[in-house]
Amino acid sequence: MTSAFSLLKTRFVWFLFAGLLLIAQVPSILGSYWTLIALNLMMWVAITQSWTLFSGMTGYISLGHVVFYGVGAYVVASTFNTIPLWLAVPMGGIAAALLALVVSVPVLRVRGPYFVILTFGLAELVKFSILNLETVSGKSSRLLFGTPSIEILLYCMIGLVVLATLTTLFVTCSRFGRGLTVIREDEVAAATVGVPVLRYKIIAYTISAIVPGMAGGLMALKSTYFEVLQVFNPIISFTVVTMAIIGGSGDVRGPFLGAVFLVLLSELFWTTAPQFYMILVGLFLILFVIFAPNGIAAFLDKLQISRKSG
Amino acid sequence: MIEILISPQLAFSALVLGSLYSLIALGLNLVYGTMRLLNIAHGDLIMIGAYTTFWIFTLTGIPPFVGLPLAAGIAAAIGAILYFSIFRRQLSGIDRVERIEANSLLLFFGVSVILQNTVGMMFSGSPRAYQFLDTVYEVSGLMMTGNRLAILIFAAIVLTSVVIFLTRSQYGLSISALIQNQTAARVVGINVSRLQFVSFISGFALAGIAGALVSMTEQISPFMGFPFTIAAFVVIILGGLGNIKGGIIAGMLLGFVEIYVVVLTSANFRSMLIYGLFVGILLLRPEGLLGKTRRH
Repeated sequence: MTSAFSLLKTRFVWFLFAGLLLIAQVPSILGSYWTLIALNLMMWVAITQSWTLFSGMTGYISLGHVVFYGVGAYVVASTFNTIPLWLAVPMGGIAAALLALVVSVPVLRVRGPYFVILTFGLAELVKFSILNLETVSGKSSRLLFGTPSIEILLYCMIGLVVLATLTTLFVTCSRFGRGLTVIREDEVAAATVGVPVLRYKIIAYTISAIVPGMAGGLMALKSTYFEVLQVFNPIISFTVVTMAIIGGSGDVRGPFLGAVFLVLLSELFWTTAPQFYMILVGLFLILFVIFAPNGIAAFLDKLQISRKSG
Repeated sequence: MIEILISPQLAFSALVLGSLYSLIALGLNLVYGTMRLLNIAHGDLIMIGAYTTFWIFTLTGIPPFVGLPLAAGIAAAIGAILYFSIFRRQLSGIDRVERIEANSLLLFFGVSVILQNTVGMMFSGSPRAYQFLDTVYEVSGLMMTGNRLAILIFAAIVLTSVVIFLTRSQYGLSISALIQNQTAARVVGINVSRLQFVSFISGFALAGIAGALVSMTEQISPFMGFPFTIAAFVVIILGGLGNIKGGIIAGMLLGFVEIYVVVLTSANFRSMLIYGLFVGILLLRPEGLLGKTRRH
């Protein structure tokens, strides 16, 4: 059995910390444009990593993770200037986790494709509910004045990446994580051999909501305004799923690979041809689901094995 | 208030919307029923049908009724391409059923994004519309525009012919059998994969027809399809997944519920109503309000 500490010795973890340290240097070396890109990249990694903790391990594909991001942003935006930020951002994560906990009991009884469209519908329902709430109270969008600098937000976001990645690593090599994997392979068999199926699913779903909640709060501070339709945009859920699948949803390296891939792609095409970029994203999603369901990570493994044997 | 509620005007609007929902859901149900695939891109085929009709009418002046078969044909052709390039391979895979279904959902999601943005790139994202048959007819106090009346009539014709086809012709009966029980259908000698293909492209063609009808009264844009997809999901879940007649009844039901709730509250609540119904039904009765429990 691999313990969590032996994992800390793996090459991946050292690569990870070296990479994150480099990204932390971006503001001072490459300037503000690249700082924004680094912030975006870290946000996608953090959310996608949390997504794989639940969807990658259990096989329950959530197409509605944007709801946690949006709720976190909403908490930070609506308490802005009344609650200090060091408290408000974690509160966004807790609010997201509470939402996940409350909805998980009924939602997780639904399986397969119904679960996928249900998570999507739920996110849209919350979006339109909050939209109506804001319209009724006469606040269709909120401006946030005096937000922290982009560098500080980047450091916080790197912190979230570390948090999400370490959580995934620890869960992967725990009894809990193995339980989740068994659920993915065969839920009935898992229950038969004594895995507390529902409890495990609820815990994983709840944990996977925390980091997206906090990331949403940070990104609201970055854009300095809050608009419901923007922070609950279903494209965010879609991008997260695509990144996880392209990178490899069953692998802790997957979110890094997938996020770097799509962020680079969007740097190349988003500003000049946003629609072309979206077409490519759709195309890559289809190609990876069909030909490489385990993503770039599995491809790298194959490469390494063939190099060793050859 | 009561006067508004019993006005024939409102009932007419509900009838038009309901018939459109029934038609849209019928196509989705055919694909789900025979292949157990939920087509998230269904609304985008409606969009394709609407754009086809729009361009034919705007460029040549050929009326939408004539453009309608072409809209159906283009949608069916897209269906055929997708079937042979993607979904046939998926269905014959060795994965478990649930994995195939969840993966197919992702594939359709990719298709949806590609269709929306391809049309957006070709014709820009701005909404378009054309004027056709917008003269108002009055029958004993009920005001109807010609195009709405046309939607109602066309939808009724298509719905009736599909139901008759499915219940009277031998080919249709084998599709019904396939929807009921795939294994049994195979045992009695039904060519499952050919019927799946026919149902798949028929479902797409029906979406194209619905799009042609929608374009007569509403603005069209590359992203118009999504609300229809969701409405169609609500309808087929209400009517019982794969239950063709249940879906038609549920379509009418949703049309009436939507029109009357919006009149009683405000248009802001339309989306909340649709998604509320969607989530509520999935949580409480995933097998559908009108359907009977069936597991595959």
